[in-house]
Amino acid sequence: MGDKQSGVHAKYDYIHDQESSPSPLDAHHVEVRRSGAKPVAACFFAALVSAYAFFAFYSKEKPNILAVWGIPLGALLMMKLCWRTVKKESVLIMPTFGVQLETHYRSGRIIRRFVPMGKILKPVLQECVTPVTCYWCLSLLLRDEEQLMLVFKEIRSPLKMLIPIWKALCAAADEGGGLEECGPDG
Amino acid sequence: MADWRRHRILMVSDFFYPNFGGVESHIYYLSQCLLELGHKVVVMTHAYANRSGVRYMTGGLKVYYIPWKPFLMQNTLPTFYGTLPIIRNILIREKISLVHGHQAFSTLCHEALMHARTMGYKVVFTDHSLYGFADIGSIHMNKVLQFTLADVSQAICVSHTSKENTVLRLVYRKGADLLVEVIPEVCRLFPQVRFIVGGDGPKRVRLEEMREKHSLQDRVEMLGAVPHARVRSVLISGHIFLNSSLTEAFCIAILEAASCGLLTVSTRVGGVPEACTVFVLLPRPNLL
Repeated sequence: MGDKQSGVHAKYDYIHDQESSPSPLDAHHVEVRRSGAKPVAACFFAALVSAYAFFAFYSKEKPNILAVWGIPLGALLMMKLCWRTVKKESVLIMPTFGVQLETHYRSGRIIRRFVPMGKILKPVLQECVTPVTCYWCLSLLLRDEEQLMLVFKEIRSPLKMLIPIWKALCAAADEGGGLEECGPDG
Repeated sequence: MADWRRHRILMVSDFFYPNFGGVESHIYYLSQCLLELGHKVVVMTHAYANRSGVRYMTGGLKVYYIPWKPFLMQNTLPTFYGTLPIIRNILIREKISLVHGHQAFSTLCHEALMHARTMGYKVVFTDHSLYGFADIGSIHMNKVLQFTLADVSQAICVSHTSKENTVLRLVYRKGADLLVEVIPEVCRLFPQVRFIVGGDGPKRVRLEEMREKHSLQDRVEMLGAVPHARVRSVLISGHIFLNSSLTEAFCIAILEAASCGLLTVSTRVGGVPEACTVFVLLPRPNLL
């Protein structure tokens, strides 16, 4: 059964699923709350751009050939705003086996990344600074890798939602890292 | 006993570690002292090379290296509102109670103080600089400083000389402080000289204090603000016109005095040498 924590943040919902049988799986989901206004506004704007492109291209007075580029531009805009919207991101922790990171889009596409438990050195919470903002993110320090791996690639969830996920990853990494240290010869 | 409470202080400047200098050292050591007193201190500066993001220094001093490229002489590009989002973000997430800006030449400092005051925070400004009044850079800087200092809660200067220099810059233009030094000396050397001072402003108090201090009430006459219609009648009552401005683009007052038949003495600043080349004595202003 999922333990849903809504109201912590206006934009996201945090769901924690923990199953104990047949195999223990610790799943953490961060869902994006759907805004009704955004897809409607995006479609309206894309339709406006496409309509202007048609009008400019087929205008009898002074047809603008270059305006034909407005049609694919409007289509791309609609794709970006509606279909590439993230629905939720999930962290599935399989103790001693690995961690699966999933990104679910509203179009139905799912991107999955699997990280073996032995590869994880340490999950870290860090502050990211951009020229206009500063936010917390959860990353994985990987063995023999220079770059950190972001757990949530698209979503910038608040710190309160990241902390329980970070604790669960730390517990799983400590447990899995202990077994890995034994090596292939035992 | 004053009510003492812990503050969460944001130090802002374009000049910080890994650069080494007076301002940088000042910010660092002041932050360490405040941390020892139990306050929380956060420093905000721009990124240096690949040093970007959040770093922690000795004593838990948190430093935000904002990824803004230095534009000129280690200063970020002044955009007025470009830094507002990140400054507001830091002020809220760190629960800052006081913003302390350093160095008059830091554009990041001025912008942060402006945005912090707009958001209702208390702000303090520390001036580490000492410069003149006549060149274009100094004039521009003084204008910016007037804007910033008009709305700070407190201003700190790093020395008495710096304090005099900073105060001078606020109403520096007409050189009233030069008069405060010159008048008693002239009165002492030439017993037959009398002064007639026309005009009003923040520095009038200093002139009146000088008059009281040296007992020159019968030698120095203060007219206050003079309506323009009466300027001629005041000018023709004198023999020498003294202009002590520290910066002047042209100085029409010299021409008015000369046209009334007065001998003109003026400081050699700005456009004054161009306005009057024949009948003036031109010393350079020197408060030392």
